[in-house]
Order: sequence, then C-alpha cells, then structure tokens
Amino acid sequence: MTQLSSIDYSIPEVAAELERGPKWLRDRRKLSRDAFNRTPVPPRGLHLWRYTDPMRFLFERGSVSDSAFDRDKDAVHQLGARYLRDGHLSAFVSDLAGRDVQIQTTEELTARSVVVSPLSEAVDQHRELVELYLYQLINQQTGKFEAMNGALWNDGIFVYVPNNTVVEQPIHLLREAGQAHSAQFPRLLVVVGKNAELTLIDEYSGGSTSTDDGITYSNGAVEIFGMQESRIRYVSVQRQAPGVQSYLTHRARIERGATMLTIPLAFGAAISKQNFGVIMNGPSADSKMYGLLFGTDHQQFDNHTLHHHAHGHTTSNIDFKVVLGDKATSAYTGLIRIDHNAEFCEAYQENRNLLLNPGTRADSIPELEILNEEVTCTHGATVGPIDPMQLFYLNSRGIHKPEAVRMVVSGFVASTLKMVSDDLRERITQIVEQRLEAI
Amino acid sequence: MSNRNPILEFKNIHVQVEGKEVVRGVSLTIRAGETHAIMGPNGSGKSSLSNALMGHPSYQITRGEAFLDGRDILTMSADERSRAGLFLAFQYPLAIPGVTVANFLRSALQAHRGKEADMSDFRKLLRAKLAELEIDENFVSRYLNDGFSGGEKKRIEILQMSVLNPRMAILDETDSGLDIDALKTVAEGINRFHNDTNGVLMVTHYQRLLNYVKPEYVHVMMAGQIVTSGGPELALKLEDLGYDWLEKEPAASTGA
Ligand SMILES: Nc1ncnc2c1ncn2[C@@H]1O[C@H](COP(=O)(O)OP(=O)(O)OP(=O)(O)O)[C@@H](O)[C@H]1O
Ligand SMILES: [Mg+2]
Repeated sequence: MTQLSSIDYSIPEVAAELERGPKWLRDRRKLSRDAFNRTPVPPRGLHLWRYTDPMRFLFERGSVSDSAFDRDKDAVHQLGARYLRDGHLSAFVSDLAGRDVQIQTTEELTARSVVVSPLSEAVDQHRELVELYLYQLINQQTGKFEAMNGALWNDGIFVYVPNNTVVEQPIHLLREAGQAHSAQFPRLLVVVGKNAELTLIDEYSGGSTSTDDGITYSNGAVEIFGMQESRIRYVSVQRQAPGVQSYLTHRARIERGATMLTIPLAFGAAISKQNFGVIMNGPSADSKMYGLLFGTDHQQFDNHTLHHHAHGHTTSNIDFKVVLGDKATSAYTGLIRIDHNAEFCEAYQENRNLLLNPGTRADSIPELEILNEEVTCTHGATVGPIDPMQLFYLNSRGIHKPEAVRMVVSGFVASTLKMVSDDLRERITQIVEQRLEAI
Repeated sequence: MSNRNPILEFKNIHVQVEGKEVVRGVSLTIRAGETHAIMGPNGSGKSSLSNALMGHPSYQITRGEAFLDGRDILTMSADERSRAGLFLAFQYPLAIPGVTVANFLRSALQAHRGKEADMSDFRKLLRAKLAELEIDENFVSRYLNDGFSGGEKKRIEILQMSVLNPRMAILDETDSGLDIDALKTVAEGINRFHNDTNGVLMVTHYQRLLNYVKPEYVHVMMAGQIVTSGGPELALKLEDLGYDWLEKEPAASTGA
C-alpha cells in the first residue's frame, strides 16, 4: 500500500477538500497543502518522533477521505437528545465522520447568543471571528500533520461564548470516526469571551474495529482561546476503536486572569499520538492539566504536553497518569517553557505510570526550557508496578488479589476522574472497569 | 483455662527479612477468650512476627508452623488468612489514595461473607461501629489513611477489626499515637470485640493500654526470641526496670 505523500489536485477526494469554503479559507488550505508537500516525513529520532513511526499517520492513497459512516446514525442523535432532555448538557453535537454534523442545543443557550455551529458554516456566518482565530495556534508551521489537517479538515465545529456569559451545563461534542480505509480530519475552534465560562466535552469514538480489516485514520486539531478572566474546562476523551491510528494536536491560549482546566483522557485506538498545550498569555493566567490514559493489548500511546508561560505571574500544574496492561506502551513528554521575560511563574509537573504487567513499557521525558530565573518549577515522574504493600494491605483484609488490583488502580485514577462531571465520570469509570476486567 | 480451644497456635517460627533472621524460634498458643501481650525493645522482631503471620510478602517464615483454629495458615495467601479469621492491626497502616474507607470496608466484608453486602445493612453496621469508636462519619468517604493523623489511622484499624469481627486479632502497637481519650475509646473497642470465642494478641511498649485491656499473659521478646513469659505483673515490672535485667538472664523460656 502506498502512502499519500503529497496532497495534490490529481487526487479527487483531496481536491474536493481543498476547494471547500470561501476564498480566504481556500488560500489557507493551500498554504497548508504546500507546507505538507514541502515538509519531509519527520525522521525517527526527531524531537517528539522517537517513539512513533510517522508513516502510521499518512493515510493510504485511495482511502476515502470523504469517509462514510456505516453505523446507526439515529442512535447517536438519540443519545444526544436524551442527554439534553435530562438537563445534563446545554448542547450536544454529533459529528459523524465529518460529514453529518448535527447540533442540538437548549433554547437557553441560543437565547444567550452562544454559538455552536459546524465550522464549515461558521467560516461564512462568523467570518470575522473564524478568520481571526482559525489557524492562529495550529497551522502549516506547526508540523507536517498539522499542515495536513489544515489543508483537509472537514468538517469542524465552532463554539463561541460571548463576554460575561456563563454556560452552566457542558457542551458535548461526539466525533464518530468513519469505517475502515477512511481518513478524517476533525477540527475544533473555541472562542470564550471575557469573564465567560464554558465546559466542553470533546469525545472521539468509533472507527475500524481492527487494523486487520483496514485502518481508520484520524488527524484532529483543536484550538481554544480564553479571553481575560474566562474560565474553561475542556475534557478530551479519546476512545476510538482498535483499528484507528489517531493523531491530535491541541493548543489553547488564555489571557490575563483566565483559568483553563484541561483533562485529556485516552483509552482507544491502535496508536494514539496526542499533543496538548496551553499558553498562558497574561498575568494570573492559570492552567491545570489532569491527564489519564489506560492502554491494553498492543496499544501504543505517545503523549506530549506543553505549558508555555509566555507572561510573568502565571501558574501551571500538570498531573498526567498512565496505566498500562498487556503489551501496551506509552511515552510521555512533558515540556514546561518559561519565556525570558516571564518572571515569577510557578509550574509543576508530575507523570505517574502504573504498569500492570511485565510486558508493558512506559517512558517519561520531562523537558524544561526555563529562560527566566525567578520561577518556581518542579517535576517528577514514577514508573513502576502496583505497590505490593498496598496490595498486601487489601489482601490482609480478605480482599482477593484481582479485586485488590482493581481497587488500587481505581484509586490511582480517582483523583483525575473526580475532575469531570458525574455523567461522564460514570461512563469513564465503566471504561476503566472493563479494561480491568480484561486484565 | 487450658481446656479452651486454641485459636492461634504457632511453633518455632523463624522469620527472615532481607535475608536477615529477625525472629528466631518463637512459639505461642492463644486460646479462646485469652488476651496476650508481647512487649520488648525496639527492633526485637515483634512486628516482623506479626507481619509474617499475616502473610506479608517481605517477611519469610523459614521454619516453624502456625495454625488458626487448627488450620495450617502458612500455606495460605494473606487474603485467605484474613478470611480464615486472622486480623492484624498494623503498626504503620499504609495509605491507599483514591480508595475510600467505606468502599474498602465494604469490599473486605464482601470478601469475608462471599457475597454482596446489602448496602443498607452495611451502612447500618458501619454507622454503629463508627459511633462505638467515636469516629466522625465523614471519615468513611475519605481515602484510606490518606492524610490521616497517626491516631486516626489506629482508630481506623480498630474500626476494621470490629467490622470484620475476626477469630484472632493481633494488634501491633495500636496504642501508640493515641491521645488519652482515644486510647480509652480504642481500648473499649477492643474489650467490646473480645469474648470467649476469640483471641487477642497485643504488641505494646506501654502499661497504659494494659490498664484498660487486661492480658492474662505477658511475653517479652528480645532479639527475635521470647525470653520470658508471665502474668500482668511482668508488664509492671518492665515498666519499672526496663529490659536490662533480662539481658543478663539467658533466654530460659525459648521454645516453651
Ligand atoms: N521491611 C524490612 N526491611 C528491612 N529490615 C527490616 C524490615 N522489617 C524489619 N526489619 C528489621 O528487623 C528487625 C526487627 O524489626 P521489627 O519491626 O520486627 O521490630 P519491632 O520489635 O516491631 O520494633 P518496634 O518496637 O520498634 O516496632 C529490625 O532490625 C528491623 O530493622
Ligand atoms: Mg514494631
């Protein structure tokens, strides 16, 4: 199978993507296309590519990028309707393989001028905002795969919360990937106004159930802008099917006094390479990131986080947890960057890896680029099996070994799951428990 | 008294930790209704003996035998020993972040009963035990020993004992770290638990616990061996004289 090495107009499904949208957008797509074509495939050993073969994200030529969705659409929509009815959400967006984007919102949300829209429509209807912000944080210069998304994204979602508006219930985005032998490029642009508040659940699921049947390629990009004093909670849930090769880049930028809580959760896909980054761009901006991934089988995870202190008097904290069973592997690279002129910053980073079997492997690579001396910065990493002393304590109270393992792992992930809403926590807990059953 | 059934009986127990022999041939029989106390200087092997009997993976029993209600426990895993009725209140209880006290106790009770513990029955039982031990109800939703004070940990150990109601309870320095009032409450908890059908073995340094929970037998352990045994008066003598006088007498009662 030959991999798509250049995006050009001779490939019909690619040409169609490049022609989508108004002129300004087509120009941006072309910039991205050119960058993709120009940029060599990252050599192994290049920063952030030591643990994953980049070829795994180049989709096969001839794969349909206009990916078909072959499952029960109604079921997905009904799920959203139910969530909405139960009052746990203020909007539910189902995005079926990028093609069928359906949005259900509460009237209250519409009345407050909150925008939840397919990105393809927002490029016209909210052009000023979209043209200003789209591609600001993730663009053709970010990297080859980011350029690929920039050229081919289809469709995306746009969320806008006006100044001083509090969206009380979460907005839930469900991106269902298409069938085997398809590729998709989900994109998300979020702009949260001054002193506004938003909780967003961004869930990626579906796709090929086995690489033997063919691969589903997923290459996503998420850009989030938090204006002054805004408060954002962003939960990313990657629970794609086992035949998906998944790539995602996330960047958020928050201004003075804004707070950002990012919760990257990853359970799915054959290979998952995700890059979450928050830039603190004004004094008192605060970013917290509580990550969790749980791998089994031969799953391969490669995660990066970035906390970029672009302004003084900013604070950040990362707690990234990894649980691996069977033969799963994980590499975590956590970069803290404090700019030259950014004084009096505080940055903390912790990465804990729990290995449930000898066949697993976890690497932890902390990276510090601290260009200012007036900072407080700590980082720590642990990699190891479950503490046998904890198991013994549970055993000494009669609790059987497998149950004791389940309890310790559930305990390990509890502080992360505490951060998400009850509904979501219940579902995530189920995922965790299913994985533990299987071990 | 000796016609009572032995609850815990061990003979000539040798324990190794990190390749070092720290318990060197200890034997003891605790019968139904009896309370024994083991005293002895720091590092004499009291906790090693207790942990080894419970099945702690770091402590290997290299020689000897041990029976609970006549059943050989040395072939059992730690969880089997617990379900067979052995309980150890740890000297240094470990924290298990993310696991609440309630969840922990419920799982333990379920494992003991071999079936789901009815939620409302469990709550009732727990509430009663908390009240007896004067433990704030908020504790059960906290993570096990996570950030608990020394005394709080000890109370929670006793809470576990009274919920599980074992045949044989070994209490390793449960009194240390307790304030005067807490010591009384915990001692009452032990006395409430103790009856004619179960046994208690207390490891302690101080007479003050023994004022409340009165042992029939006191044993002194030094350098991995029981060097002398006696009645409650032995504890009082130790309080006065310390252990020096024993060092001068060679181990007389070893293997008794
Ligand atoms: N996990 C361990 N690793 C290494 N050495 C140990 C371990 N546990 C006990 N020991 C050693 O075994 C010996 C006996 O220790 P143990 O804890 O049994 O004493 P103890 O009588 O309970 O003392 P204390 O009254 O201070 O609690 C000591 O020399 C101790 O250092
Ligand atoms: Mg001790």
